[in-house]
Amino acid sequence: MIRIDRLTKRFGDRTAVDGLTFTVEPGRVTGFLGPNGAGKSTTMRMVLGLDKPNSGSVTINGRDYVGMTRPMREVGALLNAHAVHDRRTARNHLLCLAQTNGIPGRRVDEVLELVGLESVAHKRAGSFSLGMGQRLGIAAALLGDPQVLLFDEPVNGLDPEGIKWIRELMRGLAGENRTLLVSSHLMSEMAQTADHLVIIGKGKLIADIGIGEFLRQGSNVLVRADDQDRLVPRLVEAGGSIQQGTDGSFIVTGLDTRQIGKIALDVGVVLTELTPQRSLEQAYMGLTRDSVEFQAGAA
Amino acid sequence: MSAAIADTMRSEWTKFRSIPSNLPILLATVTVMVGASALTTSRASENHQAVGAAFDPTYISMYGGFLFAQISVGALGVLVVTSEYATGMIRTSLTVVPRRGRLLAAKVWTFGLIALVTGEVAAFCSFLLGQIMIGAGGASPATLDQPGVLRAVVGMGLVWVLVGLIGVALGCLLRNTMAATTMVTAVNFIIPIIGPRLMPAAVGEWVTTYWPISAGLQVITTAHHPERLAPWTGFGLMTACTAALLMAAFAVFRLRDV
Ligand SMILES: Nc1ncnc2c1ncn2[C@@H]1O[C@H](COP(=O)(O)OP(=O)(O)OP(=O)(O)O)[C@@H](O)[C@H]1O
Ligand SMILES: [Mg+2]
Repeated sequence: MIRIDRLTKRFGDRTAVDGLTFTVEPGRVTGFLGPNGAGKSTTMRMVLGLDKPNSGSVTINGRDYVGMTRPMREVGALLNAHAVHDRRTARNHLLCLAQTNGIPGRRVDEVLELVGLESVAHKRAGSFSLGMGQRLGIAAALLGDPQVLLFDEPVNGLDPEGIKWIRELMRGLAGENRTLLVSSHLMSEMAQTADHLVIIGKGKLIADIGIGEFLRQGSNVLVRADDQDRLVPRLVEAGGSIQQGTDGSFIVTGLDTRQIGKIALDVGVVLTELTPQRSLEQAYMGLTRDSVEFQAGAA
Repeated sequence: MSAAIADTMRSEWTKFRSIPSNLPILLATVTVMVGASALTTSRASENHQAVGAAFDPTYISMYGGFLFAQISVGALGVLVVTSEYATGMIRTSLTVVPRRGRLLAAKVWTFGLIALVTGEVAAFCSFLLGQIMIGAGGASPATLDQPGVLRAVVGMGLVWVLVGLIGVALGCLLRNTMAATTMVTAVNFIIPIIGPRLMPAAVGEWVTTYWPISAGLQVITTAHHPERLAPWTGFGLMTACTAALLMAAFAVFRLRDV
């Protein structure tokens, strides 16, 4: 269990993390969400003692990370997969890490196999693709077979197969009653992996909520139709609210795909697209809209 | 020494030897020291008669090569720390060894031992080869059983260690390879070796006597110059300065965010 208590971190006059309090429970994947610059990485660095908080505290299973003699056996972390000396081989990189915590070389070979890098174990880490680098970072986190895992944007750079692999890995680890905190800024990704969500914006807690409850909060459907003018009024009548898109599509909230399809049939309008889309993403955007720092200008 | 620091030192040794260029550079450094010493020795022994009683065959056989070798010893020391900042590895290292003092201490001990072993090998090889050349040149060579000679040769290896550790400390303080190697070269080469020729005489004299590496190198002399510090006094001064730099590095390393 990770307990974060009124954690605050300032860089100069900018407050990156602002009085953040939440706990990460074992046995489930906790998704840590927030837009770019929200303070996710900074929070994780403070959990690991890399950055010093201005105030507040973090404990892992009741203890301070920096005080742990063999931290890899208790906590595994993937912060920045590219924090690797590029001229060292993958195996030597892992061996350097393992030795600091008295972990035998045999375990290095085990994790290399676990992440599917055994065939490139003797290749320079600098020659790795984004996805391979990510796997190497995950291998490092798993070396000590830790009970608590922190992954900062683990799916970055992974192909669909890699994403599926890590999703299953994380599910499996949570199934073994481990504690997992996984950050992402993609809601859609977290929706398929997390059991619980901690959402932050501008360093502040926005939501600390179970995935089921979060899903129930909003369902949106993207619709494209031949004759919008006839369809839209009927949808509004049926209780839907409409948000017009710029490219002829519109988003309906409050009705599901079946209801919309039936209404279209009733009025005889051809639907060219009907996608229960990004409902989570939208709900997430709704929650974080006020706290996005870097917003693209309207086109 | 606790088990934890021994583990961290083992890791630091793996880090050092698993960067492909490190061991070859180390070997090249020893070779350069021995080779350049041989050249400067043969030159110096040509006019040993002009120097007379001040002719110090022990010092002559090591000093010339050391001037070259120390540049790469210092640079390797710098890289022990700065290569981790340049690649981002430092974050990973401090995640697995969150006690900052332990990580830096392991780096200091490991590189100190590496510099000690190679420094002693280089010192003895330079000395032995140098004495053969001095004998061939017609001067009388030194032997290890003469007073102060063994101290001077062993001391040469110890000066390597200090030069390496000054590199580690400056690497940690500055975090940037370019800045730190420039600084090490300025501190151990430009100021003490080239500086006195350019500075006002009084300042140059002070630098030649008290500047850390100038003082430290008194340990490799056997013919004592009355205006300079005694061998171990000079070496002690250089050790104290290195220790002060290292203490500053530990303090800063503990306080800084990574
Ligand atoms: N070392 C630093 N010095 C100054 N400012 C920093 C530093 N590290 C982070 N920040 C600032 O703190 C804020 C939070 O950054 P952080 O990297 O934690 O965000 P994040 O949620 O991980 O974002 P992303 O999704 O882009 O990874 C940002 O405004 C960032 O500019
Ligand atoms: Mg981040």
